[in-house]
Amino acid sequence: MKRVTLKKVIVISSLLTLLLLLIVLFSLTVGSVKIKPQQTITIFLHSLMELGEKARDAEEMIILSLRLPRVLLAGLVGAGLSMAGVIFQVLLRNPLADPYILGVSSGSAVGTILAILLGLSTASFGLPVASFTGALLTIGIVFYFGRQNGKIHPNTLLLAGVVTGSFLSAVILFLLSLSQKEELHTILFWLMGDFSFSNFISFRIIFPYILFGFIFLYSRSRHYNLLLLGEEGAIQMGLSVERLKLLSYLSASLITAASVSVCGLIGFVGLIVPHGARTLFGADHRLLLPSSALIGASFLILSDTLARTLLAPVELPVGVITAAFGGPFFIYLLRRRKGVKTL
Amino acid sequence: MRSHSHPFRCYKKPWVLYLLGLLLLLLSWREMASPSSIFIDEVGRKVTFPGPPKRIISLAPNITEILFALGMDEAIVGVTLNCNYPEKAKEKVAVGSYIRVDFERILSLKPDLVIATGAGNTRDMVNRLERLGIPTYVIFPKKFDDVLQSILHLGQLLRREEKALSIIQEMKERKQKVIEKTKSLPRPRVFLQIGESPMVTVGKGSFADDLIRLAGGENIAGEERQMYPRFGREEVLRRSPEVIIISTMNPKGDYDRMISEWNRWKTIYAVKQGRIHLIHSDLIDRPSPRMIDGLEEMARLIHQGPLLRPPEKESK
Amino acid sequence: MIEVQSIYFRYHQDWVLQDISFKIERGGFVGMIGPNGSGKTTLLKILYRLLSPQKGQVLFEDKPLQKMSRSEIAKKIAVVAQENYPLFPFRVEEVVLMGRSPYLGSLLFEGKKDLEIAQRAMEWTEILPLRERYLDELSGGERKRVFIARALAQEPEMILLDEPTANLDIHHQLDFLNLILNLNREKGLTIILASHDLNLTSEFCDRLILLQKGRIYCVGSPEEVITPENIEKVYGCKVWIDRNPFSQSPRVNFIVKENQP
Repeated sequence: MKRVTLKKVIVISSLLTLLLLLIVLFSLTVGSVKIKPQQTITIFLHSLMELGEKARDAEEMIILSLRLPRVLLAGLVGAGLSMAGVIFQVLLRNPLADPYILGVSSGSAVGTILAILLGLSTASFGLPVASFTGALLTIGIVFYFGRQNGKIHPNTLLLAGVVTGSFLSAVILFLLSLSQKEELHTILFWLMGDFSFSNFISFRIIFPYILFGFIFLYSRSRHYNLLLLGEEGAIQMGLSVERLKLLSYLSASLITAASVSVCGLIGFVGLIVPHGARTLFGADHRLLLPSSALIGASFLILSDTLARTLLAPVELPVGVITAAFGGPFFIYLLRRRKGVKTL
Repeated sequence: MRSHSHPFRCYKKPWVLYLLGLLLLLLSWREMASPSSIFIDEVGRKVTFPGPPKRIISLAPNITEILFALGMDEAIVGVTLNCNYPEKAKEKVAVGSYIRVDFERILSLKPDLVIATGAGNTRDMVNRLERLGIPTYVIFPKKFDDVLQSILHLGQLLRREEKALSIIQEMKERKQKVIEKTKSLPRPRVFLQIGESPMVTVGKGSFADDLIRLAGGENIAGEERQMYPRFGREEVLRRSPEVIIISTMNPKGDYDRMISEWNRWKTIYAVKQGRIHLIHSDLIDRPSPRMIDGLEEMARLIHQGPLLRPPEKESK
Repeated sequence: MIEVQSIYFRYHQDWVLQDISFKIERGGFVGMIGPNGSGKTTLLKILYRLLSPQKGQVLFEDKPLQKMSRSEIAKKIAVVAQENYPLFPFRVEEVVLMGRSPYLGSLLFEGKKDLEIAQRAMEWTEILPLRERYLDELSGGERKRVFIARALAQEPEMILLDEPTANLDIHHQLDFLNLILNLNREKGLTIILASHDLNLTSEFCDRLILLQKGRIYCVGSPEEVITPENIEKVYGCKVWIDRNPFSQSPRVNFIVKENQP
């Protein structure tokens, strides 16, 4: 494998995008109700042309109102979590880091559970807002405690994040014990990751976060390569490390917060997709970031499709599927590391 | 876009107004032409659907039972996985559990009416059905008498008012009989167990609590504000019930095990007197026409056998 | 070229460096020597502004280091120091190209000129045949040369080296220092080298700065600095100084206890 050039990035990204489109089409076709692929394509193209017209028959409704928002949202969240995972792994210099390591997810969960207990429905606008607010507050707390003398030490930040996360987990359990039966179900599914209430509004809300997050992070991708040499090494190469770290943590945390606010806690995506992409394409972030995003989108869309079709009409939480993939992969990773020189 | 023209300037031209008026008139005719029915459901929502419903989906087992009782079985196109009564209900297409439904399947069944219950289905589910444009009627019975109301409402909804009234009449009469029979009998303290680990009982506002009261018993958890409070065995010991009724899905099979479980606590009055009974869960937690069976069974279990009060009532 | 004016530095409570002042002219080959804890590494880190002194300032070509941006500094000063292993493996070529970073700014991909400069750096350090190999596959000596190549790719005017010959065998130590010497003589790069090895620094450096407990003990040519008195005062052990027969540079000979006069 040679080094990463612009051409290489474009070629691989295009191939992965093609794969993603195929998976999107596949997911729109597959479901607990059988619809023929040709029909799916026709409906899809139709909808692109007649924007705004209400769907009339059941098949159209199923594809456009039920499956399409799920697929789009799953793709967006998959991309977001994967990118955040890449960034956290390089910033914390820890290949086992995932987007939830700094406790953002727990804060989000507390916000969501409170909202559900107060009566907000998962289809409403208020729930993602409550979720996001919880996440933002947590980011604030963790960063406040994680900085020393204006500098971010990875270990201090990690500690602050883990401690905050643990505390919030206790809060979550407390709130759960107060919940009534019906609320418990909704909460539990949210905690395990749930795309069943996806809608276009959520998509529109988080799309800018993911998009701008990607643009920002990608513009710094060469700098992340430098960070891999260690902070001293990066400074030797002329990098303003502190500013980069702060802005990157914030971007990655915001992306995570946005993702979690619309579908709950989906685990393993942010951990295994970066590793998978790195194994395939190398550690150069100029290729790693876009490939992780695209692979993450495909992976989560497929997982969600499996979650809703495996045991239809019963729907599994998508977090179960990602964990089923993630667990074995994790073990494989650990075994592989034994052969690699320790850091 | 002309930035100078006022957006509402068109209103200054009279013929536009006439045209709008005509349009509105035509639209209202359209509304009047189709005999659509407007109902207000039990949680205050407005439900509209054109014509008598021919494809109904039930989202809870009690609703299914009511629909079958009203003779609507032909019109039912979808039920839940939990709908097990009557036998015919098991043959219908299942759209999910009453907590989570498969919306794709619901859409593919092309229903013109979905009936949900506020005690079981989630508000979320109902909102989403609304969003998808499917008329949804929500019932929300909380006490025995509410069940009668729900049956009536559904009867009116489905143009089976007569049948509904006859069902309600029968249930009322049987309930009266139970009250008469138990009026003069002493009111024993009853503990109703509906869960094993943890042990859950029924508090204020639950159906079973209402049934106990109507059946002439005194629910030892009747003052608990939680609908399904958790009691430890010590708590039961402290409150010393005279009758223990255990709700289970398999009364015959569970009998021996349950009795032996309780027999270890001989200080409880009910155990000492051998007053532990089992009742089928479906009869007492499902707000359907069978609830009257539940009430009768409950009365029979509470008042059977010799009732000996403890010599002194210990302070609680 | 670089002037240090009365700098004081501490990490926590105690001063690690006190009242350090010296000046190094362009093209100099200067060695920093002193026992463990004398502050050599800290001083080096201050010279490229990884650390900032609490008092005093550093001037690079009469411009205060504080006022220069990090990338400006990186274009002038390159560092070859103790390296962390990169978190994930990189190839030699990629590592050398990282040296072009200060010139790339916000550009994401290296251009033709960058590739040429990297190539020349690898030729100079004789690691071109290794360009596709992964960093962790190389020997210690080869790895050091990769980092010099990276430093060269920065097109610096000055190179700072921290214990570059530690863990290398004699052959590689000499190779390495000859390489550095050539950089100094042929390319005119100013070299500042911190080392434990008194004889190697004596052999290769024009001037030496001897540090003791965070202060400058003395500055001068190897002959002036490496004297038995200085060594005994600073290192606390008796040594015998004679001359290297070939270069006439001062040579330190150990005196084992039983052989002491």
